[in-house]
Amino acid sequence: MSNGDSLRLRVQLTKEGTARYLSHSEFQRNLMLAARRARLPLAYSEGHHPKMKISLSPPLPIGVTSEGELVDFALDSYVSGAEAEKRLGEVLPPGIAVVKARLLGAGSRPVGKLIDTAVYVAFLPPAAGGEGEWKNAVEQFLRSDTVEFERVQPRRTRTLDLRPGVHSLDASAGEGGGVAVRMALDDGTGGTVKPWEVLQVLAGMAPGAGESWREARVHRLGVYTRRGERLLSPMDAGPRRPAV
Amino acid sequence: MRGAVSSSVWPELKGLLLDVERPSRYLGGEFNSPDITPCGVAVALAYPDVYEIGASHLGLAILSEVVNSLDDASCERVYSPWTDMEALMRERGIPLFTLETHRPVAELDIFGISLPHELTYTNVLNLIDRAGIPIHSRDRASGPLVIAGGCGAANPEPLADFFDLFVLGEAEERIAELVELVGMAKEEGLSRDEVLARASRLRGVYRPSAYQVSYEEDATIDGVSPSDGAPATVCKNIVDIEEWSYPRRVIVPHCEAVHDRLNVELFRGCTRGCRFCQAGMVYRPVRERSPEEVARMVETLSRATGYEEVSLCSLSSADYSRISDVGAAVSDICSENKMQLSLPSLRMDSFSVELASRVSRGQRGGLTFAPEAGSERLRRVINKPLSETEMIDAVLAASRAGRKRMKLYFMIGLPTETDADVEEISELVFRLRQAVKAEGMGTPGFNVSVSTFVPKAQTPFQWAAQDTAETVRRKQDILKRTLRGKGLKLSWHDSSMSEVEGLIARGDRRVGAAIESAWRSGARFDSWSDHFDYGRWLAACAATGVDPDFYAYRRRETSETMPWDHVSYGVDRDFLVKEFERAVAGETTPDCRWDECTQCGVCDALDTEPVLRGERA
Repeated sequence: MSNGDSLRLRVQLTKEGTARYLSHSEFQRNLMLAARRARLPLAYSEGHHPKMKISLSPPLPIGVTSEGELVDFALDSYVSGAEAEKRLGEVLPPGIAVVKARLLGAGSRPVGKLIDTAVYVAFLPPAAGGEGEWKNAVEQFLRSDTVEFERVQPRRTRTLDLRPGVHSLDASAGEGGGVAVRMALDDGTGGTVKPWEVLQVLAGMAPGAGESWREARVHRLGVYTRRGERLLSPMDAGPRRPAV
Repeated sequence: MRGAVSSSVWPELKGLLLDVERPSRYLGGEFNSPDITPCGVAVALAYPDVYEIGASHLGLAILSEVVNSLDDASCERVYSPWTDMEALMRERGIPLFTLETHRPVAELDIFGISLPHELTYTNVLNLIDRAGIPIHSRDRASGPLVIAGGCGAANPEPLADFFDLFVLGEAEERIAELVELVGMAKEEGLSRDEVLARASRLRGVYRPSAYQVSYEEDATIDGVSPSDGAPATVCKNIVDIEEWSYPRRVIVPHCEAVHDRLNVELFRGCTRGCRFCQAGMVYRPVRERSPEEVARMVETLSRATGYEEVSLCSLSSADYSRISDVGAAVSDICSENKMQLSLPSLRMDSFSVELASRVSRGQRGGLTFAPEAGSERLRRVINKPLSETEMIDAVLAASRAGRKRMKLYFMIGLPTETDADVEEISELVFRLRQAVKAEGMGTPGFNVSVSTFVPKAQTPFQWAAQDTAETVRRKQDILKRTLRGKGLKLSWHDSSMSEVEGLIARGDRRVGAAIESAWRSGARFDSWSDHFDYGRWLAACAATGVDPDFYAYRRRETSETMPWDHVSYGVDRDFLVKEFERAVAGETTPDCRWDECTQCGVCDALDTEPVLRGERA
């Protein structure tokens, strides 16, 4: 997604309702077809099999809702962010909606490479234990130098340390008497910690969590680039570059 | 968001979605999917395979839209749950549901199932059963009318016990009448029997329970007698496709479907007259859509879907009378919209190849040709008299257009075929390859796909014996031995699957018991080779006293009453007999579009005539 295209459209989207069960590739397919229906001035790759130039933020686990999915479309001519937002908004399937759209120069890095952190909130049911208990678990987690976790994947199972990938973690009063756990986790080409993995570890530290914690509703609030302690949103204007 | 329908299974279903492969199969909510408010007459239309196969089916898409455009009626989609989801649904007691409102199918008024081919029939029974509906028509006192349509209705008999009604032929008009009848029945409180009796008086609607079949001592059919005012012969429906310009609102599947593109019909029917081809016999006569309408549909539907590819489909697209005009017009729309145009089902001649290269700039897929048989003699038998010169020209034209790899379709097991005919398949492939090499264009790659011929109902070969599995394997071995070389890839069909397909294709009502038994012992997704279990079918046949040899491998006399003789697709039985005789004698029959009428009888039977939009291209 570099040479040739003059502009880039960056769109922030929701993935909610039934759409939260779409896989990453199905979500991407829906966005690509929607962009064509919206008749955006899309740029395609050269060659025999032209491909739409698109870049997405890291995959959202299936079943997790989000208000912060990002996608970049390469454009070959100008359309205003507001116009693109309106046109795209009219042709998306249920559960996917535009939060905002922004036009960028083609020189900026695509979201796929830009994102390294995702922020989630998990709403636990009241039966999964009280605030105090979860606060203790969070403290214990943050105090640990390493947090071993056995990641089971279709072809291999391995043990890894979750701790370095967890950048903030906090428990507070949530919905309807339950607890809300908010977390900023590694998410990008450099590594990924999944919200369910952190919840599973915390539940092991909170004796009252039982099995009810598995019914938590997990939501992604946004995806970011980390600069020290700060999280920068790719939807905000970038830092002003000094004039050369 | 799913609160509108109180009986929705969504609350239980969503808990299972993380435990199954591809949850998107069960979601609904695709772009352009209809917004259903339960009202009036509720219809569910099902495809008996998994979502990504069924979502490409044009017939169901058309009928769903037709119903949804009626006042006070709605139509929702249903597909077979994959085995993982079916197991969970059984465990949790979740019944078969619709994709739009996720309500149980049993709560609707009409449950229609498409019959694409014989190896889906265990899935068909599974759909009915998973809906919580008794699988035998005779055991249903209430609940939806269970109806069927599609290709399989050409021989409805193996499924006669399981359906209340079959709709023969094109159902656009009939489905609207059935909906109206059911609506009236609900208002007036008509009995189920009365509704079925009235339905069976509609043209093209077949009510199997109104026909009694008696058998001879040799197990052939003695006679079929109608009762309850049902007609002696039920004749199919056709519509004027120019007046039924559907689909108008194409649903865009969540995942890549088998035919992941926009499909616009060029015409229905084909009168090339290939004697093995059921579609060529049952969809007659040829009715072309106007080129203007085709272009209009491509333009609006491509904008409405966003698809990157459009296919102008039919049984033989290059035969469309104004294919060059329509190809050029659609090709322009495609370049404007950055779309690819594909023309499936092309004949193996240089005209078709040049047409394809002209209209589909920068094609992605390969070209597929179907010579069907290796020897010229056998191609005359099946009435597909392609000459070798035509075939060489086609392959050369394709190579000049830059195609390095082509697909070739052949059949083995055709009537009168000898081992020498089979060897000629290999020899033909080598000669085609040599022709390209001789022109200095390198060695082309050929993917040679060899399927097994299964005689089908309503065709001139309906009396022929199917090759036994043993013979098929011997012929496959000939090909495996001889068809070897650089760039050649051979694939073939499982001979035991062809046996089961043949058993059902020309089965009568007694075969239904074997299908039921196979399904009860766990048969599902029989057309998926990793799910097909021949042993299960043999056991089912043995348990129900059904002899596969009698149905698949027996040569019938033309005087024998066929199980489907009371179901007519408009083509005269005498024409089929004559065509069978001409086949054996190696005589070809021309196409009535550019030669004289072949007296097949369809125009008289349906009081119609072929609709062409111009002179032969």
